[in-house]
Amino acid sequence: MSKSFASIEDVIERFAGQHYICNRTIATVVYLASHLRKPILVEGPAGVGKTELAKVLAGALGHELIRLQCYEGLDESKALYEWEYAKQLLYTQILKDKIGEVIAGAPGLKEAVERVASQDDVFFSERFIVPRPLLRAITSPEPLVLLIDEIDKADTEFEAFLLEVLSDFQVSVPELGTIKAKHIPLVVLTSNNAREMSDALKRRCLHLYIDFPEKEQERAIILLKVPGVAERLADEVVAAVQAIRKLDLKKAPSISETLDWTRALTLLNVDTLDSTTVDDTLSVILKYEGDIRKAQQELKDHVAKARAKAAAPTTAEPEKDVLH
Amino acid sequence: MDDKIITFVGLLRQNGVRVSFAESMDTFRALDLVGLGTRLAVKDVMRATLVKRAVDVPTYNQLFDLYFSGVGDIVKGAEQRSMDALDLDPADYQQLLEDLAKFLAEQGIETSDLTEALLKQDSARLERLLREAANRSNVQRIERSFQEGQFSQGMQQSMGVGDVARELQQISDALGAGEPDPRRQQMGRFVDRRLQELQEMIRRLVRGELEQRDVGQRDAARMQQLAEKSFYYLSEDEIRRMKEAVTKLALRLKNVLAVKRRTARKGKFDVKDTLRKNLQYGGVPFKIRFDHRKRIKPQVVVLCDVSDSVRNVSRFMLQFVYSLQDLYSKVRSFIFVSDIGEITRLFEESEIHQAIDQAIRGNVINVYAHSDFGKAFRMFHRDHLAAITRHTTVIILGDARNNYNLPHEWVLKEIKQRAKQLIWLNPENRMTWGFGDSEMDRYLPYCDVVEECRNLNQLYRVVDRLVIG
Repeated sequence: MSKSFASIEDVIERFAGQHYICNRTIATVVYLASHLRKPILVEGPAGVGKTELAKVLAGALGHELIRLQCYEGLDESKALYEWEYAKQLLYTQILKDKIGEVIAGAPGLKEAVERVASQDDVFFSERFIVPRPLLRAITSPEPLVLLIDEIDKADTEFEAFLLEVLSDFQVSVPELGTIKAKHIPLVVLTSNNAREMSDALKRRCLHLYIDFPEKEQERAIILLKVPGVAERLADEVVAAVQAIRKLDLKKAPSISETLDWTRALTLLNVDTLDSTTVDDTLSVILKYEGDIRKAQQELKDHVAKARAKAAAPTTAEPEKDVLH
Repeated sequence: MDDKIITFVGLLRQNGVRVSFAESMDTFRALDLVGLGTRLAVKDVMRATLVKRAVDVPTYNQLFDLYFSGVGDIVKGAEQRSMDALDLDPADYQQLLEDLAKFLAEQGIETSDLTEALLKQDSARLERLLREAANRSNVQRIERSFQEGQFSQGMQQSMGVGDVARELQQISDALGAGEPDPRRQQMGRFVDRRLQELQEMIRRLVRGELEQRDVGQRDAARMQQLAEKSFYYLSEDEIRRMKEAVTKLALRLKNVLAVKRRTARKGKFDVKDTLRKNLQYGGVPFKIRFDHRKRIKPQVVVLCDVSDSVRNVSRFMLQFVYSLQDLYSKVRSFIFVSDIGEITRLFEESEIHQAIDQAIRGNVINVYAHSDFGKAFRMFHRDHLAAITRHTTVIILGDARNNYNLPHEWVLKEIKQRAKQLIWLNPENRMTWGFGDSEMDRYLPYCDVVEECRNLNQLYRVVDRLVIG
């Protein structure tokens, strides 16, 4: 499994094996990234499977996934490494006698300091370093996937620092020297576009924009992820969600919310949508009161139309396009 | 193909998409890897390597289609039209082409390269000839639509359409000679048709080239004009675009502020706290502490005139205030005409456009009254003066046209004493202040900042000041 992707089709196939349905565009970018060894910058609305992409990529390649979650105020010591001061201190206390031995018999203070100085490498060695995700990714003996999640939340200074790491995959720890990556990890950066990323970062990455899926794709995802869902319900849910996304909402429902909704409906033993069930369960996909009100209005019309169509003998099969 | 990609990259740059040299190198490496197999794959590959901003994607898509299928599509379209015109299906059409070639060979008619390509429907050769001619006559320099005719003419000359026309005429004559034969007549019609198609192809190619120049430029130019245009004279569509611009401006400001706040957060070295925190390490300073002083976010009180005369400006101002609400710890918004009403709650609870609509439609105060700044100020003084503290920035938006009512400028004096600063934004031209019923001159001495705010650029400046101040 750990072989790299042979072709774009291979990407699609192996992703499908990980229960991830991806279109050709995504597969192309992934294929390129794995061969050009370039980071992928994934942008798109929340909940379209950006983070999932990295996980699946790791799964498909059989690599380990290391995740660095970005947030405001994230700095090098949280992302790269930190010295374990307390442990160092503890060791100096425990080794007090040993240190005493080392400096025993030193003629003067200067000589004693010299002797301690000749040993101080002991305390600044890899033993006392806490590796954070980035350093772990670089020092790993195995190839791996590094996910840098929500990079837009991090500060611009951190972005600049990241640039350095991403361009040569080496970091320098002043006390230890430069550490170079054994394997260049496959990097996936995700961004919700809370702020525009710098051009320098974008230049180094392959850019992938994942949007809400098309009707067919979303249906396939539901059928794959919610086992035992009635096909008819899946059709209706997809049609409803796609219609809701067209409204002007504060937050459009994401794929994960669509899945939640489908699961909830299956749990309630619903096999076809009607206005009461919709009213009761809409809060699963919409998180703002105003949005829910808007969607209820829209869906009422939709359900009424769907019913009228279903009632008419000529079009017994519910059309997927009834909404528009 | 390499040249073509380089030209395409240039074209992207021309249309406002930033593409660096490194990125175009990536494209070549990526294309090597994936190959030029399918059009869609090439499109995806180039999109991933060249276009990094979501806003540029539509431009890219449009350009890609125009550029990479341009000539091919044109040639194919011409073939289709010929077929339709003669009412033939592809097999018959192929037969006709072969018969015609046989006829030409029998008659011993020599044809030029282009004529042959036309009559044999040799798409590849035709495409090549069209491209070459386009290069020779510098079609890519076209900039304005009125040049279309001129460049079409140039290409026709460069391709020698005149000669082709003569040759085709000869063939047509030869076909018409002798006793009338339906097959030959059909061939004759085809030959005539091809000349029209050639001219049509040239026209379309020039048009396509013009469209490539235009995609992004048009938008950028329009946006530039929009920024300078006075709020008073906006059309419906422009108002929509302006709304977008204001939202973007607000977003940009949020970013700037966020960065500023973050740098301010790293305080000075705090000796006392450092000593205290490091007692657990026996007084060895392992953990350095910094002094985190609280930065007080500015508080804003906005008084917005929503009378008819400044309606458009108020709209943007309100939209702006709405977008910035979470930047400031406290924003209180008031609107007035002759009465004053608070809309802070409305802004917190409703969706932006709805809130603004309600505010200026008269749900809060009577917006059809005559402006009376004096009365509104007095009411503010009576009911809401407590809203102003020494951290407050007060922004008044209005034209100060008071319908000769009492101006009550003493209210402003008191506000200025209490507030951090008082800013007056006037949507009228500075030249007209103080004339007629404008009381601007009376109010002016009590304001810290008075700005003319008639268009987006001026709003930009004011806002920059607000954030820095």
